[in-house]
Amino acid sequence: MINSRKLRHIIVIALAGFCALGSARAQQTLRWGADPSGGAPYVFNDPANPNQYIGYEKEMVDAMAAAMGRQPVFVASDWETLVSALQRGSFDIIVNGLEPTTDRAKQIDFSNAYYVFELQLTVRADEQQIHSLADCHNRVVGTLGNTAASRLMQKEGIPWRGYADPVGAYRDLELKRIDAVLMDVPMEMYYARPNPKLKPAGEPFARGTYNVGLPKGDEKLKAEVNAAIDKIIRDGTLEKILRKWNLWNDAQAELQNPIRAGQPASTVKYDLTSASFNWREAVWRLTRAAFVTVLIAFGSMLIALTLGMPLAVGQWKGPRWLAWLCTIYIEFFRGTPVLVQLLFLYFGLPAIGLAMPGWLTALVGLGLNYAAYESQVYRAALGAIPRGQWEASYLLGMSPMLAFRRIILPQAFRIALPPMTNDFVSLFKDTSVAYAISVWELATAYRELANASGQFLLLGIAVSLFYLLMSLPMAHLARRLERRLQRRDAIEAVEAEQAG
Amino acid sequence: MIRVNQLSKQANSTRILRGVSFAVAPQTVLGIIGASGSGKTTLLRCLNGLERINAGTIECDDIRLAANLSGADYARQTKELRRKVGTVFQHLYLFPHLTVLENIIEAPVHVLRMPRDKAKSEALELLESVGLKQATQRYPDSLSGGEQQRVAIARALAMHPAYLLFDEPTSALDPKRAAGLRSLLLSFVQRGHTLVIVSHAIAFLIGLADHLLYMEGGEVIEYGETDKVLNSPIDPRTKDFVEQGQS
Repeated sequence: MINSRKLRHIIVIALAGFCALGSARAQQTLRWGADPSGGAPYVFNDPANPNQYIGYEKEMVDAMAAAMGRQPVFVASDWETLVSALQRGSFDIIVNGLEPTTDRAKQIDFSNAYYVFELQLTVRADEQQIHSLADCHNRVVGTLGNTAASRLMQKEGIPWRGYADPVGAYRDLELKRIDAVLMDVPMEMYYARPNPKLKPAGEPFARGTYNVGLPKGDEKLKAEVNAAIDKIIRDGTLEKILRKWNLWNDAQAELQNPIRAGQPASTVKYDLTSASFNWREAVWRLTRAAFVTVLIAFGSMLIALTLGMPLAVGQWKGPRWLAWLCTIYIEFFRGTPVLVQLLFLYFGLPAIGLAMPGWLTALVGLGLNYAAYESQVYRAALGAIPRGQWEASYLLGMSPMLAFRRIILPQAFRIALPPMTNDFVSLFKDTSVAYAISVWELATAYRELANASGQFLLLGIAVSLFYLLMSLPMAHLARRLERRLQRRDAIEAVEAEQAG
Repeated sequence: MIRVNQLSKQANSTRILRGVSFAVAPQTVLGIIGASGSGKTTLLRCLNGLERINAGTIECDDIRLAANLSGADYARQTKELRRKVGTVFQHLYLFPHLTVLENIIEAPVHVLRMPRDKAKSEALELLESVGLKQATQRYPDSLSGGEQQRVAIARALAMHPAYLLFDEPTSALDPKRAAGLRSLLLSFVQRGHTLVIVSHAIAFLIGLADHLLYMEGGEVIEYGETDKVLNSPIDPRTKDFVEQGQS
């Protein structure tokens, strides 16, 4: 009999064999993580050939990997969670225009700098009042979440909104949902400069560097990566790539010239972007996000409850064409993901001149979506009322409308209350999809604060508490209402029994 | 005066009523008897306009429902008809979310636009006349079957109908309570109401109904004074039914 230790030995040996085979067949890989969505000019899908990734960092990593004698493997990831993904081991390095901020440096290591970036403020072409970031204290400025730009604005106390990609930010600027966009120059060059409806406000400012993100404590990999960066700077490969992408400027020369002259690297060091994370600030931001969540939840429930009724009645008693229309509406909103509906409302509707701000889009979108569900709750509840209740009302001279309002609806309400409560609690949680359209609600707040601080666990608990704080009173209230309706029946029944 | 002439009703190509004719004089009681499925409940539902008739006419004082009326006209006549005719269903259909008092004043307040106070005092009088004054704030679920029925009667009376239709009023009552109901109904006749009572309990109708109408298969088999129908029926089918009912 083979005991478990022996078995483990066998497995380890077998695995080692596989690994040896694998490495013998292929070179060692260099898995690098970056976010390709809206990722130009760093790394993005080639518009001419969407199966391929292109970008200056893609070319740079190819050159670095060649210098390291490794095979580059691109791992498409998500910008805001890059650091945690690296810590989890999803890839070996981050190359995605990542700034070596001190807070990130607590979580991961950084290579030497390979690029010096500046920030550029962009406004609409007809903007008269904003000339620099200082003019933005009462405006809303868009940028990517968890970037040097967002941290700078947080430090300066400028209201900002985080986007998942630059495309969304510049589009919202065009649609007047925000007043300005602050981005790193490479993105501004690629996405905003060619757009005639936008213009730069002032000169680029606030230098910082892009460095390769590395797992904490892996000195060997760090040395290897630094050597590779050193090599592609010295032999002019990096300059060639940057010139090709129109990103070469004086700042790059300042970074590269000393290295080419044989001086040690990383003499250029900037720090403008340490995020100052403190719990008081985090709780304040979470509270604000909670208010937005409550606003969206209550607003959309109001829409759902109001719109659900005509939908239910239309589908139930309406003429055939109306019943059909209601059915189509209901099946459409129940049958497609609410996320897709929100994205459509947010990005699709402006095409016909209807550009709502994010929170309103979420409120309306969730309202329209839940109306479909509420209509079915109503329909079931209305259908559960015996026909005799209608007939008794008619025979007392009531019109259908009066009978509905005074006799049918109050009875249906009692039946509909539990499922309605259920939907409301569920709607509370569904407000988190508003994250997709950059609304600062609880889920967005959690992601951004946690990414900025690395406090996923503690913030996660805090955010869950916020959700519970909001949904529990609702559930409690509904239960009490239900109980009160039931208790009245119960007491009467007991009294009747005693009297009987 | 209710006059029904050659009334026919069909649903899904089955005839439920065929050529039904009769009349009810003011301040009299008509009992409609017959086995289950004979069409007597459907006849009642035609009389209060819940079912549209397919042939013939129903006249109630100056209101005339005819099969050939247009939809809008029929609806208008039905609305008028319901001002005069009150109905107490077999299953009562009290409004479970309203108290006894609210059940009764609901229609006077919201249909007749009667001031709430006036409706209330009338309702209390009605409840007193049916012997339920103590239950005004109770909910229907908590009342016994007989009490619920009296609430339903008071609810119908609150609209001041000249005619009252009852569908199987004794189905939920023991003999003692049935006797109580009979005397209550008789008091209504004395106060000027005209009653049509559908029942398969012949015993209940004796001493209450002035005329009886025996139905079978949607047709009127026998129609005449109560005494004659019970004691010397013309049709043998009536005789059979009466004998079974009294045994």
